[in-house]
Amino acid sequence: MDYLFSYLILASIFVILGLSTNLLVGVVGIFSVSQAAIFGVGAYTVGYALSNDIMGFVPALALAAVVCLVLNVLITLPSLRVSGDYFVVTSFGIQLLATAAFTNWDAITGGASGMAGIPTADLFGLPIDTSLKTLILTACVACLACFAFRLVMRSPFGRLLMALREDELAVAAAGRQVLRAKVEAAALAGVFAGVAGGLYAVYLSFIDPSTFDLDASVLLLTMVVLGGARTLAGSIVGPFVVVALPQLLSLIDLPTAIAASARQGIYGVLLVAFMLFRPQGLMGRKI
Amino acid sequence: MASDQTYLSVKSMSKRFGGLQALNDCTFSIDSGKIICLVGPNGAGKTTIFNAITGFLKLDQGSVFFRGNGLTGIGPQKIVRAGIARTFQNLRLFGDLTALENVASAVPNQFGEEPLGALFRPIHTARSQRKTRETARGILEEVGLADQAEAFVRNLSYGEQKLLCIARVLATGAELLLLDEPTSGLSGDALEKVMVLLRRLRDEGRSQLVVEHNTRVVQQIADEVLFLHQGHLMAQGTPEAIMADPKLAEIYFGGAL
Ligand SMILES: Nc1ncnc2c1ncn2[C@@H]1O[C@H](COP(=O)(O)OP(=O)(O)OP(=O)(O)O)[C@@H](O)[C@H]1O
Ligand SMILES: [Mg+2]
Repeated sequence: MDYLFSYLILASIFVILGLSTNLLVGVVGIFSVSQAAIFGVGAYTVGYALSNDIMGFVPALALAAVVCLVLNVLITLPSLRVSGDYFVVTSFGIQLLATAAFTNWDAITGGASGMAGIPTADLFGLPIDTSLKTLILTACVACLACFAFRLVMRSPFGRLLMALREDELAVAAAGRQVLRAKVEAAALAGVFAGVAGGLYAVYLSFIDPSTFDLDASVLLLTMVVLGGARTLAGSIVGPFVVVALPQLLSLIDLPTAIAASARQGIYGVLLVAFMLFRPQGLMGRKI
Repeated sequence: MASDQTYLSVKSMSKRFGGLQALNDCTFSIDSGKIICLVGPNGAGKTTIFNAITGFLKLDQGSVFFRGNGLTGIGPQKIVRAGIARTFQNLRLFGDLTALENVASAVPNQFGEEPLGALFRPIHTARSQRKTRETARGILEEVGLADQAEAFVRNLSYGEQKLLCIARVLATGAELLLLDEPTSGLSGDALEKVMVLLRRLRDEGRSQLVVEHNTRVVQQIADEVLFLHQGHLMAQGTPEAIMADPKLAEIYFGGAL
């Protein structure tokens, strides 16, 4: 039972992250490989605020959202100047920088050994101290995020973002401000990632840099590719499948020594196979 | 409109790309309510003039005035709002959107075109969206694409895509349209359709600056012709006068063409 709870909680957290990545990479076409860094900033912000008893869970989550909003806008700004493929390199650098900061800024993050004993969440005095309560919380937030994604995609803002991915010049010729639209999309994606990070921190009560490294960013991309770009269904299915993979793999009796690398290998194979044979993913459209 | 104020006036426009002088001290002005054809051999600088007027290109020198207001140095968005909008020679339609959405994407002043409105006032957003779609549908009707409203761009014929470009630029509400080769690649009925449409739009008050290669089309639609060659504005006059000039005919037909 705990096993199932843990799967559902993680999957719903990754749904929020998947939406964030899908918005940026799938919808707007800003190919970021540093979304795990933003996720991490959200997690560390909430972890630090709660561990040091600076504020309650809800304000901490709001703070994480704001911090990640600002940060995601800042790290997305280079995409306005360097286009497409080149942005991947910039974003790669940002991810490495973030990992270095998580690992070395001991006073805040606890360094390589991580941050342990993060207190559980509470909602206005109601402690979220069981798996069931945590699941309800994360599922509700994930549903809210899905609803928000749907509203955005059906609004003129969503159409503007879709147009942006296809042709920035034509968007400008239609009298729209390309810069403003990109900043708004990055801001929204940042809020999603920050909230996901905060939920992750209070659920696991332990975070360390390895959760927010380049592998994690690639994992997020795998979810988007596998689920499919630009659709709500894809952003839900992708995380649910990818989060289940390690569990499924553990059913096969692999020696623990090779289990981790086998998992990485399978993610790699999946990425390549989907790009080659089903670029629209399980439920979505071509990235 | 006050007659002492020029509609669009371009003064000493120059642009150099590396070793190539794409525009060389071009000066001209046009009146409202007309179709002005911009002609000249390939590489003459026609598209560059469009890019410069619409704010997509920074000029080395020169200025643009629209109804007496300087447009130099302001971005494409503001220029669209000032009333000048353009199409692209290579279409640049949104292939993943439907014809209707392509047109809707250019309709100005939509509520919910930013996240806060879209998220926190969804009903208002939906209402505005419905209004936009109605407007867009009307424009599609105007260009004769009403039956293709829900079709994706990639499923439209080339002629329909050209019409859609015109529909999209109309949606901006701009009064002066800069159309870059709206008839290229068209023949027969499709060509006829575009010509009829452009003339009708002019009669409804939309001024147009049109890049056009086909001399027969120029004769049929142009009120006035601007002749551009190697970045120089060689002549401005009635289509008859321009066509009758042997020097221009030599450049146009005798050269590399
Ligand atoms: N961004 C650019 N960078 C470098 N050279 C350019 C650029 N844009 C245009 N040119 C060059 O400037 C010259 C004028 O180009 P332009 O596109 O304005 O010609 P055009 O009159 O529209 O020709 P066509 O009839 O082929 O469309 C060409 O030689 C072109 O190669
Ligand atoms: Mg051209």
